[in-house]
Amino acid sequence: MTVSRAGRIWALIAVQAARRGGDVSAADACAAAVAAVSVTGGWLAAAGDGDAVHLIWIADVVSDQLAELQLTLGEGPSLDVSASGGPVLASDLGTTEAAHRWPAFTPAACQAGAGAIFAFPLRIGAIRAGVLGMYRTQPGPLSTSQLGDALVFADTATLLLLDAPGQAVGGPGAEAGPGGQPADLALHRAEIDQATGMLTEQLGTGIADAFIRLRAYAYVNDLRLTDVARDIVARRLRLYPDPGPSQDGES
Amino acid sequence: MDGQLLSETFVELTDTMVDDFDVIDFLHVLTDRSVVLLDVSAAGLLLADPRGELRVVAASSEAARLLELFQLQNDQGPCLDCFRTGQPVTAADLDAGAHRWPRFAAAARQAGFAAVQALPMRLRDQVIGALNLFRATPGAFDPANVRIGQALADVATISLLHERSMRQSDTLNEQLQTALNSRVIIEQAKGKLAERLGIDMTQAFSLLRGAARDRNLRLADLAQAFIDGTEPLTGDAAARAPQRPGGQLRPAPRRGSRRRP
Repeated sequence: MTVSRAGRIWALIAVQAARRGGDVSAADACAAAVAAVSVTGGWLAAAGDGDAVHLIWIADVVSDQLAELQLTLGEGPSLDVSASGGPVLASDLGTTEAAHRWPAFTPAACQAGAGAIFAFPLRIGAIRAGVLGMYRTQPGPLSTSQLGDALVFADTATLLLLDAPGQAVGGPGAEAGPGGQPADLALHRAEIDQATGMLTEQLGTGIADAFIRLRAYAYVNDLRLTDVARDIVARRLRLYPDPGPSQDGES
Repeated sequence: MDGQLLSETFVELTDTMVDDFDVIDFLHVLTDRSVVLLDVSAAGLLLADPRGELRVVAASSEAARLLELFQLQNDQGPCLDCFRTGQPVTAADLDAGAHRWPRFAAAARQAGFAAVQALPMRLRDQVIGALNLFRATPGAFDPANVRIGQALADVATISLLHERSMRQSDTLNEQLQTALNSRVIIEQAKGKLAERLGIDMTQAFSLLRGAARDRNLRLADLAQAFIDGTEPLTGDAAARAPQRPGGQLRPAPRRGSRRRP
């Protein structure tokens, strides 16, 4: 079930990139998500240093306004997502609950033309890549299936952002999951998360770079990410900092 | 059956309205207490992810093979059947039940378990997960214990979702997703701590949990601070790492008034 959903979503993203005429990017994932999940528009903000965010894609004028409003007012779904690490699902901005949640943003967003807003963390545990926002002109919740799709689009956009030029350290190409493994399957295994944490110590890097190195090692050696992670957790494999992409420490 | 512990557990499982409610710690309390109260070898808890898969969010034993076991259940097994039907599923002897779930039965036996009882976490017609009890020896589960186990699962479900959330499915989905991301942060922090101190994942988890309780922090917040480097955890390491491999259950400081003598 998961694999076919991930495969279907990768295909939608690839088609979107082809239509645009470029390599697959996080922006393509967001554009494809907006179409697939039946929302009106959306925006993609990448996390910068500290609390800084960079708006790197918008679907339309209203999306631009919504993203800007949040920066200006200092409140809104994107900021809540960054704080909590979970999604924000505000399926009706006309409710008093929404008005209480964001006293300044809600009326401004309604005026801009939004009836519902959904925002998803682009995040793997402590690795923060950004936020994917979506809006609808009419109020109404995402269906269970739309929510599931949106989360997988967000997972995929996370990987694409982490692999984007300037981020990757000899990282794998964006189109394929490491070792041919569907990307989202890799996201939820405890051993991968544990191995990523171990690599921060072995490599002396932050958590995002540790994850990139882990995936790069699997990709370069044509191994499944899960298998590499399992070897690291079992202490059969160590990775070393800088000299060379990675070394096998098996003794 | 420890009557006093049972009462205390129910009180603890309903004490979720506090502002700094820690979902992950709460679910670990549920699995730890299930083992003690229900006379089983291990307990695990699965929650449904809207992406369409079940995920392990807590287990009484951190053994990797147990987690592997749960992951196998994404394909087949009593816990998955329980989740799909919303009904309890019992496998009193996994050798005898091998024809129903051959891969699951083999993995469970390899991990040292002979019997499984899966109990749904259900509120009205919504099933959000399953509480799974594992025993090393085959044989029927004590019906009285099973009823208490279901009551624990029911109370935990109600507490987790409490009424005001249920009317608003947006809120429920937000909370579940946040909890699932918290689980990932904790696994990353376990890895970092295990590597730094040369300890195993079970010890790393115990240490993180103890440190969170000492500081009155949510487990995920402490894990995040540790990964960010703002919380070095050095004092805790010296004090605790060697001695508490099993992850003993201690009441959180904020629940100090209910601490057992």
